[in-house]
Amino acid sequence: MSDPMPPTPAPGRDHQGLRRQLNLAIPADAEHIANATDAVLACLASLKVEEEKSMAIGLAVQEALANAVTHGCQNDPSKTIQCEVSADEQGHVLIVVADPGPGFNYSAPPKPVVQDVYNDHGRGVFLIRQLMDEVSFERGGSVIQMWKY
Amino acid sequence: MDINMQRRSQVEIIQLRGPLRMGAAVNEFRQALDNSLSNGDTRIVLDLAEVPMIDSSGIGVLMKSLASARQRGGNIKLVNPSKFAVQTLRMVGLLNLFEVFTDADAAVSSFA
Repeated sequence: MSDPMPPTPAPGRDHQGLRRQLNLAIPADAEHIANATDAVLACLASLKVEEEKSMAIGLAVQEALANAVTHGCQNDPSKTIQCEVSADEQGHVLIVVADPGPGFNYSAPPKPVVQDVYNDHGRGVFLIRQLMDEVSFERGGSVIQMWKY
Repeated sequence: MDINMQRRSQVEIIQLRGPLRMGAAVNEFRQALDNSLSNGDTRIVLDLAEVPMIDSSGIGVLMKSLASARQRGGNIKLVNPSKFAVQTLRMVGLLNLFEVFTDADAAVSSFA
């Protein structure tokens, strides 16, 4: 099977000194998501990322992993999700989450529509876009890159 | 996720401790709310003072339960949600659907 994780972007002019800080391989099982998120939060704490920023990143990671487990891997624990945390010299944080699935429709509406307020799903990508400063998808949605500045 | 439940003046008070996220925490939360609602306890106070984070699956359970409670003449009211929980609910446009209180007694009294 090919590696689902694209290489960490080369540090460009805007992200000098970008270095990988954490690389997790997680079984696609909902029970493993919280532990992975906690590992990312611990990594951010070790980098001395301020709490408010860290919480936003943590929740975005949680949502990206939940999407990868549910949509990318159809809750198949034999599949593996990768999650990378990188940071540059300015304290900008890059999160990359990749799953081996075919991708999914990530084009969330800009705002949850009013008649859907009682829905029990469909807010994950919207939240990610609100929490992070820059979000992009690759490979049809099976790889998400999220920056927090 | 620690879930502490107590009943006061025909109101179910559910106190949560820990992040409310996909997996065991949300499953236990769903079970607690489903049990209350299926017992006919539709007046619910949810103490979120010690819930630092709510993800979209936790929000989903909360909204489904809110709809169910209201359909049966009840409601779910929030007590002391953490700053980040408030921000998250506001981000998804749902904060204004809830009455928010600073203590459980006031939330319970509001059902009278």
